[in-house]
Amino acid sequence: MCWLCEQFGDPEYGNGLWYLNPKNYARNMYKLRAPDAGFKGAEVGLETGARAGPTTQDLLAAAEKGDHEEYDKIRTIMQEGGQGSQVLPLEDADRVLELCSPIGLIACICRKDVRAIDERNEHEYTCMGMGVGMLKWERWPERYKGGCKFVNIDEAKEWNHEMDKRGFVHILMLFGAPFIGGFCQCDYPDCSALRSAVDFGIGTLKGHYVAEVDYDECNGCGICAQRCQWGALKFEVTSGKANIDLFKCFGCGLCETGCPRGAIKLVERKSVPALAEVWQ
Amino acid sequence: MTYPLPMGRKFPKITIDHEKCTVPFLCKKCLQICPMAVFSVARVMEKEKRLEEMDPRIEGNYVLHAPRRDKCTVCNLCIDVCLVDAIKIEVPAVGRVRPKVSGKQWGQ
Repeated sequence: MCWLCEQFGDPEYGNGLWYLNPKNYARNMYKLRAPDAGFKGAEVGLETGARAGPTTQDLLAAAEKGDHEEYDKIRTIMQEGGQGSQVLPLEDADRVLELCSPIGLIACICRKDVRAIDERNEHEYTCMGMGVGMLKWERWPERYKGGCKFVNIDEAKEWNHEMDKRGFVHILMLFGAPFIGGFCQCDYPDCSALRSAVDFGIGTLKGHYVAEVDYDECNGCGICAQRCQWGALKFEVTSGKANIDLFKCFGCGLCETGCPRGAIKLVERKSVPALAEVWQ
Repeated sequence: MTYPLPMGRKFPKITIDHEKCTVPFLCKKCLQICPMAVFSVARVMEKEKRLEEMDPRIEGNYVLHAPRRDKCTVCNLCIDVCLVDAIKIEVPAVGRVRPKVSGKQWGQ
């Protein structure tokens, strides 16, 4: 069980998965900021972030010094200061979209920061905001400069499936746990949540599933290998089929949804003994 | 615990001349060409300006950083593409690391 399920899951709903607990979508989870409070969470830019606590720069400096103790300390602080997020497969994403309201399509802040991509209309948006926070989007004009397109559940699902087809990983974001506030569509290396998970092993939790290959069905077409953002799946030359490093697998299910022969299946993480508690 | 970062290795030092690089969000050449996505562009955050929309054409509204210099391979694509010659990359002097093996271990 991941720490999010331990804290925010309810056995009565969705097998105890935190993101299927309707209470986590409640309006009163949304926290208002005190008028004189400083910058926090998503508002922290690189400039202010440097003052708020250790950053990636401090982590790199510790690595350069070869100081394992310092590295661990900074990594732990960055880990605990994180907002919390988890990778979801498409099927679970659909169930999440049925629970939350409102849903708005917005511009992706990571692609804006890392690649300077300014998404300005509904055809360009690659991020999804959800919950009552979306009704306050005008508070941060810089973040939502491209505007916001509110969608209903069916439109949201359709959009999400389209993003899945394009090859984006779905990551559910908490903004002040347990308030669920965003649904990111991520890839490497633009997305900061995905990248810190892959590069540093901090932040985003792995999903509650892992992918397994049915070697009788797999014909080695290689489509899945193009879709894996985690460096977990590759084409094994010896067998001529897909090969998955399950310790690197985040259970996003992109290989499963991309496989034309249905040769990859997601199985529950807890059903694989050595992986049951591997969340990062 | 694993160490995804190569511990003890020196990373390239990337210096950006902010007096030359004034409109990175408008130019975005280095941001989009870098194969390892080393760069990042941030809005200059000031509390009183928090509620304002920032025009990327106005000098100084955005600032370029290189937060992921651990991924920099010094391929110099960003230097080649920069119109104002604002990026400098210092390659750390790294000697060849040889494992210390004493002859006795091998029975010599």
